[in-house]
Amino acid sequence: MLAGLAGEAGPYRRLLDELSGLLRAYYGRRCPPGLDAEDLVQETLIAVHTRRATYDAGQPFTAWAYAIARYKLIDALRRGRAHLRAPAEEADALFTPPGASGGAEAAMAARDLDRVMADLPARTRELIRETKIEGLSTREAAEKHGMTESAVKVAIHRGLKALGGKYAGPGGEEGPDED
Amino acid sequence: MKTDDLIASLSADLPKVAPGAAARRVALGLGLGALGSTAVMLAWLGPRPDIAEAVLTPMFWMKFGYAAITGLILAALLTRLAKPAVRPGALVAVAAVPFVVVAAMALMRYAQAPPEAHRAMLMGHSSMVCPWRIVAIGLPLLAGAVWAVRGLAPTRLRAAGLVAGGCAGALGAAVYAIACNETSAPFLAIWYTLGMALAAGLGAVAGSRLLRWR
Repeated sequence: MLAGLAGEAGPYRRLLDELSGLLRAYYGRRCPPGLDAEDLVQETLIAVHTRRATYDAGQPFTAWAYAIARYKLIDALRRGRAHLRAPAEEADALFTPPGASGGAEAAMAARDLDRVMADLPARTRELIRETKIEGLSTREAAEKHGMTESAVKVAIHRGLKALGGKYAGPGGEEGPDED
Repeated sequence: MKTDDLIASLSADLPKVAPGAAARRVALGLGLGALGSTAVMLAWLGPRPDIAEAVLTPMFWMKFGYAAITGLILAALLTRLAKPAVRPGALVAVAAVPFVVVAAMALMRYAQAPPEAHRAMLMGHSSMVCPWRIVAIGLPLLAGAVWAVRGLAPTRLRAAGLVAGGCAGALGAAVYAIACNETSAPFLAIWYTLGMALAAGLGAVAGSRLLRWR
């Protein structure tokens, strides 16, 4: 973790890899039905990353990470179970290019896209459009909006997950978001 | 998104984090809050008219010092509570010291004073408004504390809210000391402390909601 705080990507990546294994075991035992353990793993990894400034050198890393994991579990239970049910990869499918299927279909797909994204926050919507459709890199999108790159990634990840939650079929409805 | 992809994307963008970043965030939130609180105090009450002479008296510094030192200790405690799995430790005991010292001084002055002076010592002329003013002046500080702590990772929200409120109340009381012309130690021990306690209670009640983070 200290290497991570110093900006060394290699050791940091190995740390997150190992941590994701620990978290999978942690949530595997504790995750109640209706919550997706892998989503909690991802949420916790995001929190570990974006809030790494709260890690004190000399503190046991696992104690710190588990405290976050526990908070995330309680938070997920509190905010209602449906919210975390649908994984983000299902929403990725919405953004696969229509391919050779012709202009009309593409236009219809674009219109559908406008409709499904209408409930997302405006900035998240723009970020998704720019990175997934217009082909900007996250760095370019970050510069355009004056955000950090990790903030852009987190916003996109959450936006896709919200979409996945909405269109994953029965039982995948979006819970009330408290943010 | 697959977890492996997420890990790759998170570790691809890894700005350095300087040691002490969390403490600096708390300091920034409270600093901006203190500016707001001072502006509220100046616009609403103004400094006491005799402030130039008052700063030469020990009582002014006792009031200001009691509130400011309590606030700074609670700010250190708040920084710890904003970090996962960090124990507040001995700071809790340290935070009690200013209260004990001021209570002891108040008891001493009270015991030494003639009985006919007791009522004035306890009630001053502003006891009914003092705690409420402290809470009101502390609100910008509370907002600053909430902003700072939400951006960190508190895992015990009620405790963090209690300390955030207490810290905002104590620093708000230090700001209020510039406007307040009470001069008795028992007054300070009762009404200033009550103001801080009200702010702490407000923080504890609001904390579990306001301090939630994702």
